[in-house]
Order: sequence, then structure tokens, then C-alpha cells
Amino acid sequence: MLKYLGKRIARSFLTLIIILTAVFCLLRLMPIEGYFQNFDKMTPQQIQVGLKEMGLTDPLPVQVIRFFKDLLQGDLGVSRIYRSNVPVSDILKDKVPVSVKLGVWSMALSLLVGLPMGALMARYKYRWFDKIGTLFIVCIQAVPAAVYFLYIQLYGTKLMGVGLLFQINDPKYWVLPVLSMSLGNIAFYGMWLRRYMVDESNKDYVKLAKAKGMSEGGVMFKHIFRNAFVPLAQYIPTAFLNTVIGSIYIESLYSIPGMGGLLVTVIKKHDNTMVQGIVLLYACVGVLGLLLGDLLMVLLDPRISLGKKEGDR
Amino acid sequence: MNQEKILEVNDLDIKFELRGKTLHAIRGISLDLYKGEILAIVGESGSGKSVFTKSFMGLLERNGYVDGGSAVYSGAEDRENVELTAVKREKDWLKIRGHEIAMIMQDPMTSLSPLKTIGVQIMEAVLLHQKVGHSEAKKRTLKYLMDVGIQDPEKRFDQYPHEFSGGMRQRVVIAIAIACNPQILICDEPTTALDVTIQAQILDLIKELRHKYRLSVILITHDLGVVANIADRVAVMYAGDIVEIGTCEDIFYDARHPYTWALLSSLPQVGVKGTDLFSIPGTPPNLYTEIKGDAFAPRNPQALKIDFVKRPPYFEVSPTHKAKTWLLDPRAPKVDPPPVVSKIRNGGLL
Repeated sequence: MLKYLGKRIARSFLTLIIILTAVFCLLRLMPIEGYFQNFDKMTPQQIQVGLKEMGLTDPLPVQVIRFFKDLLQGDLGVSRIYRSNVPVSDILKDKVPVSVKLGVWSMALSLLVGLPMGALMARYKYRWFDKIGTLFIVCIQAVPAAVYFLYIQLYGTKLMGVGLLFQINDPKYWVLPVLSMSLGNIAFYGMWLRRYMVDESNKDYVKLAKAKGMSEGGVMFKHIFRNAFVPLAQYIPTAFLNTVIGSIYIESLYSIPGMGGLLVTVIKKHDNTMVQGIVLLYACVGVLGLLLGDLLMVLLDPRISLGKKEGDR
Repeated sequence: MNQEKILEVNDLDIKFELRGKTLHAIRGISLDLYKGEILAIVGESGSGKSVFTKSFMGLLERNGYVDGGSAVYSGAEDRENVELTAVKREKDWLKIRGHEIAMIMQDPMTSLSPLKTIGVQIMEAVLLHQKVGHSEAKKRTLKYLMDVGIQDPEKRFDQYPHEFSGGMRQRVVIAIAIACNPQILICDEPTTALDVTIQAQILDLIKELRHKYRLSVILITHDLGVVANIADRVAVMYAGDIVEIGTCEDIFYDARHPYTWALLSSLPQVGVKGTDLFSIPGTPPNLYTEIKGDAFAPRNPQALKIDFVKRPPYFEVSPTHKAKTWLLDPRAPKVDPPPVVSKIRNGGLL
């Protein structure tokens, strides 16, 4: 197990290095016009000086190695265009916690509401709770998120008595964004948990559990839920980390100073160091999510043992 | 037979509603189960063997229901007889399931929850039905594991189902059933999914446990070899009815119903070479439509005219042996059983 984990982490690092190198090289292929605001009026000498300042005239391998050297020292570089001469890490330091906080709350809410909802829907299949739940899920899945986000903002802000301008330190202002972000995930967890539980409840071990005299609720909770949760568990870390990365739409709707949409902005602005920094963050999040997902599966399902090779029984 | 009855079924009807049509799965079965016996129910797929026994535990699918008749359970020590067909509420079934009647399913590979150790799964049954604390329950669980022949129970307790072979898993399933401390044990094709050498071991185990825990066993199977091995009495089921019932000897050496003859004829015979194995022509009747007369008549080349008109009642051959066929009526012409059956009768080919 530990050996597997070590290997897996080493491989994750390799993945990160490949991603960063690839992105780094791709960025260097972009036209140089983007680096300067008044490119048309500049002389070739000025352009050369400008590029040299940014270290773009060196051969590509040298640039890559310099980038990784800096990275190892924890230096993500300095933003040039997005916010002139501010270290990338400082910019992210302000933005990431806001998005993380939003993500954590919304994830907690989706799990706390979505899972019990799915379980109860499976328990009372075809009864009124299931029907209402299905209606909710269908609505959330079918109506474009942008539509109900707007309605939530429109009526929610009135109901809560909050202004449109986001106040980061007032918990009241967090309610609506968190709620908006959770709805989709609640529907997702509810739908899939119900589905997996209904699947499981037709299996033989459930019949045996019933035949040994366990109550229906007991069977649901002690046997079916656990088995149904396994396939779902794999996605939870990734989903969680995706939420943490931030939602462009919700953050802009409530003018939350998070990092949603930041990547697009800095790519547009040709701010290479910022792009690198954010890509690094996203890649870490992605790789970590997959790793955690697999580990969670191992914890939940004794049949999966990661240490062994395929066919090694 | 002056044994004590533990279950008495009379004229039981079970129906299923399927897409607006009614399927008459069990057509008026009467059957007694005596204390301590092993009663085998044989019949082909779809004859209603499983449905019949599931109805004793309230485990019919949602669209199935008892439409008449009665099933009285009289094995409870501390309470009055229970009319099983009148039990409706889930809460009342919980007093029957496991506690009085336990069940073993066909496929041990899927009968256990893959995520829990087998120890925990057996202990669940102990805790549900025996009023003991946690540590005592564990002690008893270890004992049950020993009883079903699992070596090194301390270590096995903490293992998961996937670490067991098929035969071992079936032993665990049996341990779960025993741990409920039931009076009746229903074994629904307990050996079908196992290979032949393991089958024999499991059957021996069931025989042994029957004595040890004073169980009455209903064994559902379509394997006559299994029946001959273990059963005290045999009920032959066809199209939702028991067409012949008797002791093991009655059925194998003195079968009277044409369907039983056909079943016996389709057994592979030792020392017979070059002839095709007998198979019963036709298919079982459609249970959506009402069956007139003897359900087996359309597949029976020697059927009498009355077989197509009127359903035969039980005719008693001996106090232990009765069959539903007009052939036993005094007015019936003499019809000889097929050669294989006569051979078994005379020489005992089994």
C-alpha cells in the first residue's frame, strides 16, 4: 500500500512536470504582439529589449530549466501585465482562499443534502418523496444554471435583506452563492445515489439480509448505502476540488473576489507567468483529486487493493 | 406418521400482477412440514418452487400476493400459531424472518455484502435474534463458523467475502441462517452454483446441522441426485402445484404421476450407452391462462381424456404417499410406467 502510494505520488509529480513543460512551450508559440500594449508604434529594438527583459530571447530549454529552478524555490514569478510587477503567488494568495471557502461550504451543503435525499428517494421509491425529488433533479438538470442563478439572486437578495455588493466578512452574503453553487451537485448526488441504491437493492445479499430478519431501514442503511456509495466516492474528491477552483459565473454574478475566470483573463492578456501559476494550481488540484478518489475507494471497498498487480491474486 | 407438524399449508394460491395480466404462480398447494424432517421440493424452472417458499417469509416481489388458502406456522415456542398469509405489516414479518424461518439462497457468490467482513455479517444475525451483548455475540459467531466447518475462525472472522471460495461462502451463508436460530430452514437450491465435490460437502453439512440445531428443512432443487442423497420426503412440483408427494422411497421406487415418471426417465442412467437421454416434450403451461384439467396432460403422451377436462384430486397410494393423477382412480385403465422407471423399481439403478 505504502509502496503503491509512493509510486503513485512520484507519477503524479511526473504528470505535473509534463503538463507545466507543455504549457510553457505552448505559451512561447504565441505571437509576440500580445506582450506589448502599443506594439504597432514600437521599433524592432524596443521590442527586442522588451523581450529580453522578460527573458524570452533565451533558447527554450534554458527558459524551461530556469522556470523549474525558480519553481523549486517557491518562486512563481512576477505578473507583468495583469498586475504589473506583483508576484504571482501574492495575487493568488488573496484569491484562492475566497474560492476555497466558497467551495468547501458548497461541497458540504451538497453532500449533506444530496446524499440523504438520494437515500430517502431510494427508500421510498415511487412514493411522494421520490417524485418530488425527481422533479427537483429534472428541473435542476434541464433548466440552464444561468437562469435559476439569476432568480436566486433576484429574489434571494431581497429575502435575505442583503445588498448586491458582496461583503466578504458578512456570513449572510455567503448564503446565496453557496446555495447556487450547491444546487447542481445536490441534484447530481441525489440522482446517482438513488440510482445506485436502487440497483443494489435488487442484489442477492440484500435479499439475504432481509431474509435474516433485518428491517428495511436497517438493510438500507447498513448494507445498501455503503455499497451504493462506493462508485460515487471516487468522484467526490475531484468534484470537491473542481468546486474549489471556483465558478466563473457565480463569482462574477455576486462580484466575489475569487479566482473563477482568472485563467481566461490572464491568457487573454498574455500574462505568461500568471498562466503558468494558475495552470500549476489547477494541475495539482486535478492530480490530487484523482489520487484522493482512488484512495477513498480503497478505504471503502476491501476488494480493491492498490498494492497488487492485475491478475495477482 | 405421527410426527408433529411445524407448518401446515392448505390450498395456497399465489398470484402476480404483471403488466395488467394476472399470473397464477401457485395453484392451490397443500403441504405439511414435520418437525425435524428434510422435505425436498423438486420441479423444473418456473414451477413455482421459490415463490412458494418465499411466501412463508413475506419476501414475494411487490406485485405478488397470496390470493387464498392458508399457511399456519406452529413452531414458535413462546407464542401462538401464526397464520402466515394474514401477516401484512413489515413489523410483524420481522418476527418471522430469520427468527422462525431462515433462508439460504442459491448463489453464494452474490449472497454476501462485499464490503463487510463475514464475521460482522454473521454477528448481525446473532444480534438481531439472540438477546446477547456484543462480546457474547462474537463468541457465538466464532462457534457458528466452527460448526459450519470453517477452520481458524478467529482469523476468518475479519476477512471479507472475496477472500473465500464459493463453497466456503455458502458455509458462511449457512452460518448466517443458523445464527438466526430458526425453526425452519429453507434452502433454495443451495448447491446449484457449486461444483459437484463441494455440493456433497454442503449437503452433508445441512444434514449434520439439522440434527444439531433441530431444524426442519425445506430443500428446493431441480437435481434428483441431491434429493436422493438427503431428503426424507419429496414433493414433486409442476406448474404451481404439487403433483406427487411421498417419502424418498415412494417417489423413486413407486412413482405414480406421469410427470414424476418423466422426471425419473430423464435422469442419466449408468451403463446405458448409445441412446439419447430422455427429455420431456413440449413446454410447461402458460400460467397467465387458466389451466383446465391436469396441467401436465398436454405433454403426456399417455394422457387420458379426463386429464384434459377435470383437474385430478389427490389419490392416496399409502399413508405417506399421494399423487394427483387420474391414473390412480379405480376406473382408470392400467398404464405402465416407462421402462426406466420400472427398471429403477425392480433393480434400483440409482
